Amino acid sequence: MLTQVLLQLTVVVTLMVLVSIAVFVGRYRLRDTRLEWRARVRAAAPVTALLAAVLLFNSVARQYGPDVSWMIHWNLTWPIYDVEGEFILWLQSFEAPAITAYFSFIYIYGYVFLLVFPVIAYFALSNTRPLRELLTAYTLNYVLGLGIYVFIVAYGPRNMMPELVDALLYDTYPQYQHLTRQVNRNTNVFPSLHTSLAATVTFLAFRTRAIYPKWFLLATGLGVSVAISTMYLGIHWAIDVAAGIVLAYICVALAGFLVGRWSVTAWVASLRDSNPSPSTSTGTDTNPDTDPNPGSSSGSEPKADAGTPDTTPSESEPETGSDPEPERA
Amino acid sequence: MGVQRMSLPSDDVGADADADANTGYSRRSLLAAGATGLSVAASGCIDRVQSVVDSDTAEQVSLSILSLPAADGDRETAEIARHLESNLDAVGIDATISTRSESEFLETILIDHDFDLYVGRHPADFDPDFLYETLHSTYEYDQGWQNPFGFTDTLTIDRLLERQREETGADRERTVATLLEGIAQEKPFEPICVANEYRAVRTDRFDGWDENYLTTGSGYLGLESDASSDTEQLHALVTDQRLTQTFNPLSPTTHEQRVIVDLLYDSLAVPRWSVPEETEATDEETQAGEEVIDAANVSIEPWLATDWEWDGENRTMTVDIREDCTFHDHTGGDDTDADGSDDNGSESAIPLTAEDVAFTYRFLADTTYGRAASASPAPRYQGHVSAVDSVTVEDEYQLTISFSTDRAVAERALTVPILPSGSDSPWISHLESSVESADDDWSPTQGDWSIVTTDHAPPTGSGPYKYDSHDAGTSVTLTRVEDHFTLRDDDHDLPAPTADELHFEVDPGTSSSVERVANGDADITTTRLDTYALESTIDDDAVSFVESPSWSFYHIGFNTRSMPCGNTHFRRAVSQLVDKQWVAEEVFAAEDSARPVATPVAEEWVPDSLAWDDGELVTTFEGEDGDLNVDAARELFASNFEYDDGALVW
Repeated sequence: MLTQVLLQLTVVVTLMVLVSIAVFVGRYRLRDTRLEWRARVRAAAPVTALLAAVLLFNSVARQYGPDVSWMIHWNLTWPIYDVEGEFILWLQSFEAPAITAYFSFIYIYGYVFLLVFPVIAYFALSNTRPLRELLTAYTLNYVLGLGIYVFIVAYGPRNMMPELVDALLYDTYPQYQHLTRQVNRNTNVFPSLHTSLAATVTFLAFRTRAIYPKWFLLATGLGVSVAISTMYLGIHWAIDVAAGIVLAYICVALAGFLVGRWSVTAWVASLRDSNPSPSTSTGTDTNPDTDPNPGSSSGSEPKADAGTPDTTPSESEPETGSDPEPERA
Repeated sequence: MGVQRMSLPSDDVGADADADANTGYSRRSLLAAGATGLSVAASGCIDRVQSVVDSDTAEQVSLSILSLPAADGDRETAEIARHLESNLDAVGIDATISTRSESEFLETILIDHDFDLYVGRHPADFDPDFLYETLHSTYEYDQGWQNPFGFTDTLTIDRLLERQREETGADRERTVATLLEGIAQEKPFEPICVANEYRAVRTDRFDGWDENYLTTGSGYLGLESDASSDTEQLHALVTDQRLTQTFNPLSPTTHEQRVIVDLLYDSLAVPRWSVPEETEATDEETQAGEEVIDAANVSIEPWLATDWEWDGENRTMTVDIREDCTFHDHTGGDDTDADGSDDNGSESAIPLTAEDVAFTYRFLADTTYGRAASASPAPRYQGHVSAVDSVTVEDEYQLTISFSTDRAVAERALTVPILPSGSDSPWISHLESSVESADDDWSPTQGDWSIVTTDHAPPTGSGPYKYDSHDAGTSVTLTRVEDHFTLRDDDHDLPAPTADELHFEVDPGTSSSVERVANGDADITTTRLDTYALESTIDDDAVSFVESPSWSFYHIGFNTRSMPCGNTHFRRAVSQLVDKQWVAEEVFAAEDSARPVATPVAEEWVPDSLAWDDGELVTTFEGEDGDLNVDAARELFASNFEYDDGALVW
């Protein structure tokens, strides 16, 4: 059951990504990527490794987190419900099969696509800063979000409001529960990591709107849809979503502040300098961090109009290998 | 929001502090710290400021209702809790719902006793003697399934509980009736309804699901397998992850563990349940289309015992047990060579003898086995073992058990799982190492010490299935024991294991479980389904829903150790805030799946005064069709409590 759902997810998201590469990235950026991918991978490697480490740590810590959470026991379920009242019920009053289908698709497929595609889109830029900011922001989301999960126990609307029966994701499409159960605990709802990661992508898309204007529009639409879907499907409270947006804002701001502050390659180079062997110039071309507004080199490129990408994105495999598949809600 | 702890009168706060000192566990203080931290911005701080300013100001009564998550736990429980919460609010009580995972829920109620009131299911039993364990004041301070309400009524209820154990026939019926009326007055808990259990099954690989009671392990024995299809492994779905993590038969916090314990362990006797034949059922029953399960349909039949004989006074029983039964050997095929013994595993396996039976009863009564200063009863089976006075081993396969109770109650004691006693026994080795590593005055916390809380994997029983492997949180696999007596001996008509393997896999919930059975991915949903699932239609003749009547009742449990739930008038008034008829009809989606009750026993034992339809002692809802008559309900409270500006205060 799980493998079937995973396979379906992989196929659908891959298709969406391929189409989006054709529409948003275009032939010229791919051509440049083919030439420069080594340098870009080197630039993004440290933060990618960090993200991978955080995800790995998370998968181990997940076994112990819930026990600790119940021990600390800040159960926020009732306070949230008390403050927010029946907003979710109101939202679900618009329930219709087509709307449920749309938001279910967004919650699973749209969300994964929203997180995977910008990794590739930013990798296709000569300036690696957006990519590193994106990966840093992802990492921060996990670290901060999961940190909060350890302290706060809260159940979502679907577990507090038995009257929500019509538009619940897991009743309409029970197979998805096998997937989300792998990455999620039902007591981890505050804040909504689904929302915060989606909002992170949207905020960064806003920053890079000069380079990817159409992507900014799509990312905004998808980001808003993801946020609504988590509430409409009874998984998150409106307060979780609001907290998720705040978390996303903090992460994006922090990422902008942190990226380029330390350079692993420079550090390695300085170590090498103490040795007699002459170091190559890796440090210089991977740290063009001075300009926080990217797009100087790639923004002038003609927009992609090529129907099919003639280059498969296989070069970017090392990047997508670390894609944040194990998302949390 | 956890603030109500602080609003308790000072003597209760003192009791909490004492409990901390006893357990030596900082959970409660952590909780208090959390509540303080969180409530700074909320009402807690303001409340306290007010009470400092004006110490005469009475505070609003606040209650926290423990309940289970709706989607991932028990939708019906959550819905009843909501119904109760809104009605408590309506009468001016500051009620909140505290949602816990299933094991946390049980731990809070059974171990920590840290609750005001809860909504949940009680396992109950076919015989009313389960009330002894549930309510006797002997168990006031015990942790586990014994007296979680902290209820004490030594003059009336205790005496009736004791008396019904010693009586027979009509005498016992009268005493039980008086007892039930007393409980209905005192209301340590308030039963709401009894609901049938539903499970989805596939009949194309295994059939005969309705022959035995699926709530117990026997439901998985004596099946008919379809020879034409692959029937090596029976695939069952469970919801609770803990079932695949811990196999300790003594653990009180593992929900719905019974099936696996029944399959791994033998007991001297088993309850056999039978549905009345169509012709035997009364017209009423047939009309209602319901199968009535009551004491008349349950009998205690020999299992590991071949036979037993009572002495003239019905107080001492001589039991013969089956010969050549062995405990499961988990040493593994590779290790047997190292032992130097022969390769045949069954030769080196530990035989089950009368010694093990004697050990089991003594151990369940005191899990320290006399090593600690005071006895530490297991948090399960206390009602059973408290009926046993002494066990004498006569020879390898015969023993005499003397009881302090009459036959009906005594025979129920024969259904506990038999644990191994030899030097290889995991229980003995755990004890030895605990004693060794402890100080001179070793006093483990009853109901919550490591022998009770350990995972106990691999579990060593002698039952028809043997533990094979598990993947914690995901699945557990049991394999058939080829030389189990049900397969080996032919002097009985007991059900024997059919499938080579039983594979229990964790599945997230009702909808997904039903879908997997419909897809052919599983044979049965072991965990009972939420009733809304019955509305789903499945186009497959091989899939059906099996209905199992149950004794298990939904109820409100009160913590009588603290106010306001320590007050009988208060409990009675709260009981009138739940519309049982409405709950049975509206909350339980399937028609006739639940029936409202006024008393917690099987129908045969219900006295006329507590019959739901017209009993004069039945507590009625203050309202109609689920809607509370607020003014009348407030009157109920006003006679014993005060109102201040619409809020119930104290």
